[in-house]
Amino acid sequence: MSQTYYKAQANEVELFEAAASMNLPILIKGPTGCGKTCFIEAMGEKLGRKVYTVVCHDDLSAADLIGRHLIDDNGTYWQDGPLTKAVREGGICYLDEIIEARKDTTVVLHSLADYRRVLPIDRIGEVIEAHPDFMLVVSYNPGYQNVLKGMKPSTKQRFIALSFNYPIPDVEKEILIKESGVDEETAQKLVTIASEIRQLDDSEIQEAVSTRLLVYAAKLIVQGFDPYQAAMHTIVESLSDEAEVLEVLEKLIGLHFTLID
Amino acid sequence: MASILAALEYEESIGKYWNRFLDKNTDTTFKDAAVSFDDISKSLKLFYHLLGGDKAKDLHMTDKRVIQMKRTFLQKVSGSGIHFYLPWQDSDALYLPSSIAYFQDKKQNEMLYYWLTALFTKVQSHQGTLEDVNTNAIDALINKYPGFQSFYTQTQTKEEQFPSIFWIYPALNTTNKYSDFNDEHTPTRDESKPEKVDTLKMKKKANQIDDKKETDGLLAFLPDAMMSIMEQVNVDRSEDDSFDEDALYNAEDLDEITLGAKKANLSARLKLDLDLSMHSKEEYPLGGGHFLDEWDYSKEKYLKNYVHIKPYLTTNIEAEELPKRLKKMVKSVESQLDMMELERVKNSKLSDGDELNIDTWIEYKSHQNRSGHHQKFYMSYEKKLRDISTLILADVSLSTEAGITQEMRVIDIIKDTLMVFSESLEKLQDSFSIYTFSSLKNKNVRIEIIKNFKEKYSAFTRGRISAIKPGYYTRLGAAIREASLILKKQQTQNRLLLIISDGKPNDVDRYDGRYGIEDTKKAILEAKKMGLTPFCITIDIEAKEYLPYLFGKNGYALIRDSKKLPALLPQIYINLTK
Repeated sequence: MSQTYYKAQANEVELFEAAASMNLPILIKGPTGCGKTCFIEAMGEKLGRKVYTVVCHDDLSAADLIGRHLIDDNGTYWQDGPLTKAVREGGICYLDEIIEARKDTTVVLHSLADYRRVLPIDRIGEVIEAHPDFMLVVSYNPGYQNVLKGMKPSTKQRFIALSFNYPIPDVEKEILIKESGVDEETAQKLVTIASEIRQLDDSEIQEAVSTRLLVYAAKLIVQGFDPYQAAMHTIVESLSDEAEVLEVLEKLIGLHFTLID
Repeated sequence: MASILAALEYEESIGKYWNRFLDKNTDTTFKDAAVSFDDISKSLKLFYHLLGGDKAKDLHMTDKRVIQMKRTFLQKVSGSGIHFYLPWQDSDALYLPSSIAYFQDKKQNEMLYYWLTALFTKVQSHQGTLEDVNTNAIDALINKYPGFQSFYTQTQTKEEQFPSIFWIYPALNTTNKYSDFNDEHTPTRDESKPEKVDTLKMKKKANQIDDKKETDGLLAFLPDAMMSIMEQVNVDRSEDDSFDEDALYNAEDLDEITLGAKKANLSARLKLDLDLSMHSKEEYPLGGGHFLDEWDYSKEKYLKNYVHIKPYLTTNIEAEELPKRLKKMVKSVESQLDMMELERVKNSKLSDGDELNIDTWIEYKSHQNRSGHHQKFYMSYEKKLRDISTLILADVSLSTEAGITQEMRVIDIIKDTLMVFSESLEKLQDSFSIYTFSSLKNKNVRIEIIKNFKEKYSAFTRGRISAIKPGYYTRLGAAIREASLILKKQQTQNRLLLIISDGKPNDVDRYDGRYGIEDTKKAILEAKKMGLTPFCITIDIEAKEYLPYLFGKNGYALIRDSKKLPALLPQIYINLTK
C-alpha cells in the first residue's frame, strides 16, 4: 500500500498520536478540501490502524452506525455496522461531516467518547467494551452558515478539538508539487491564485478554493493541459455559478496564466 | 486655367490633411470601443477584494479635473487636453473614470479598468513623487501578474502621454479646481504641492474617524468616567432634515462633504423635531400594552417592568397587489426556491405507504416475539412543511428614512424586502410572522403587527407592509424581548428570530452607546435560552464592530449594498435553514 502523503501544518500529528495513546476522541474542524480526511488516512497508516469512514447525512440512523439484523437462507443474522466493527476489532472510526447527521443519532457516541468506552447494543443485548486500539474521530465544516445545525454541546464537549485551515502558502506549494509533480513555478502561481480567492468573504463567494481543487488543477497541468484551461475548469467553474463572479475569477486566472491561443 | 484649378485643389487637400492631422493627434479616444464604469463596477469591486483591497471602500466615478500642464501645440490649437478623468482614492472609496476608450480594442479598455483597480492595491500612499509611487506600484504589479505585463507592454505607446492613463493620482483637490491654468506655468510631473494638501486632509479625516469611535460605546473598556461623559452624548444621526446652506452653496464639492463630518448639534435639533406628530393614519392600539424588564449593565440588574410595550395594528388598509417592480425579483427568487428541494420527511413505520421499509420488516422477522410486534412495514416520503417558524422583526426607526438614492429610502428597501421575503416564505410554506418596531423612550415602545402567525398571508398583508411609516428610535432590546415572547409560543422544532435593522440600538434617553448594546445583548441571550435562534441582518456598514459582540460570529449578516437586500434575504434565509 502506498504511503499517503501528508504534510503537517502545525502540531496536529503529535496531538493525534498523544490522543491515540491515551484513548481520547478527536474532533476536527475545517473548511472543505483542506486535508481533514487525508490527515486521518495518513495517521491511520502511521499508527497501523484501520480507518472506518462513515460519511454522515441527515438520514443516517443509529442502525447505520451500529449494525442491524439481516436475513439469508439460514434465517436472520446480525451484521455489525462500521462503528461496531471498529469498536470490536480496534481501528479508527471516522465520522465525516458529523454535523449533517441528526443530533439524536450522534448520541450513540456518548458512551464511547468518554471514560466508559463501551458501546451498548440493545438489539442483541450486548455491551461491547472498546478494543484498546479503538479511536473515535469526527469532523465537520464550520463554514456553512447554518444556524439551525450544529453539534449538541454535550456531544461536542467529549472531544479534543483540532482546527484545520488551508495550509500556509509554502506548505501548500510543497503539497501540490508532491501530489502532482507539477513544476515549482506553476505551483507557486496556483497557490497565489488560491490565496487571492481566499481573501473574499462569504457574501461574495460561498466557499474559497480548496487545496484539493489546486491539486486537481496541478494534475491537469502535468497531464499537458494548458494551465489557463486547467485552472478555469478546476478552480473557477467549481467555485461559483454566478456570471459576475465567474467573469472576475476568469480575469484573475488570465492575469496569472496567459492563454495560449 | 488648369493651373489655377490645380492650385485650388491643392489647397483643399492641404486643409483636409490638416483636419485629419489635428483629429488624429488630439482626439485619442475610440468611442466605439468604450467601456463604461456602470457596466463593470460590480466586477471591479469583486476584483478589488480578490487582490486584497480594503472591503470597506466603495467604487465611484470620478469628477473631471483640470490639470495644469503643458499641452502640445496641437492640443492648444484644437482646444483639447484640459480636462481629465483621473483615477484616485481616499480612505472611503476608489474613484475611476466614468468610461474608458483609449484603445481600439474593447478588451483592452476593459483591461485598463482592471489594471487601475489592481494598481490601487499596490500604491503606497504618498511616498516619494507621484512618478516614483506609480512606477514602484506598476513594477510590483507586472512582476506578479504576467497577464498585466503583456497588457502593459502591448499598450506601452500610450504611456508617453501625461497624465499617464496607467497611473493613480492624488485625491481630487478642489482648491485648484477653478484655478487659472497658465500654459507657461511649469509643467512638471512632480505634483508635490497638491500632495501636501492631501496629506493634511487625510490627517484630518483620520482624526474624525477616531473621534467617532469614542462615542461608539462598544469600545467597552474605557474608564468609567469616560463612559458617563459618553452616555450624555445623544443620538448622532447623520441625516439632515434642514438644508445646510453651505452645503447647497458648495454643491460642486458635495462628494467631499458627505464623507461624514460629525454634526455636533444635530441631536438637539432632532429631539425637538420629534415632538411633531408623525402619524396621522389610523392606528388601532391593541389594549393598553404591557411592561417588560430592561437590563441595566451599570447596576448589573434588571429594571423591573421598565419598558412599556404598545402593540398596535394599522386599520383601514387596502388590499394590495405585489408591486410590478418586484415581480421579476419574486420570480427569480421563486425559481431559486424551486431548485431547492424542500426537506423530504421520511415517515417510516406506516401500515400503508409508498415504499416497503425493508428494515422494519427485517426487524420484525428477527424479533424473538413476533406476536407482540407491530406490522407497519411501509414508509413514504413527504415533501413537507419544514418544521420552522420565523418571526421577522423589522426596524422602522427614523433613521430608515435616510435616503439611499433620491427616490429610494431605507424604509422603502425594508418594505420591498418584506414583500419579497413574505412571498418566498409563503412559497416555502414556512410559518412566519412580521412585526415592526420603533421606540420613544422606555414609555413608548411601539410594536406594529403586520402579520401574526395565525393570519394567512394575503393582499392585506402587503397593504399593511406598504403602509409602514418610519417611526422614532431603536430600542432593540425591548423589541427583541417582545418578539421572543411571541415566538416562544410556536410549537415548532426550529424557531428563527430574524431581525432586520439599519443601525445600532439607540433611543433619546440613556439607551445609547453601551447601555443599549448591553441591554440588546442580554435580550439576545434570553432569546437563545428560550431555544430561539436569533439572526440579524443589517445594512449598516459601520455596524461591523458590535455585531459579533451582540449576535456571535455566525449570528449576523451584513449587506453592503442595501439595494440588494430584497434579493439577498431569501438566499440568506435558505442558507440558514437548509
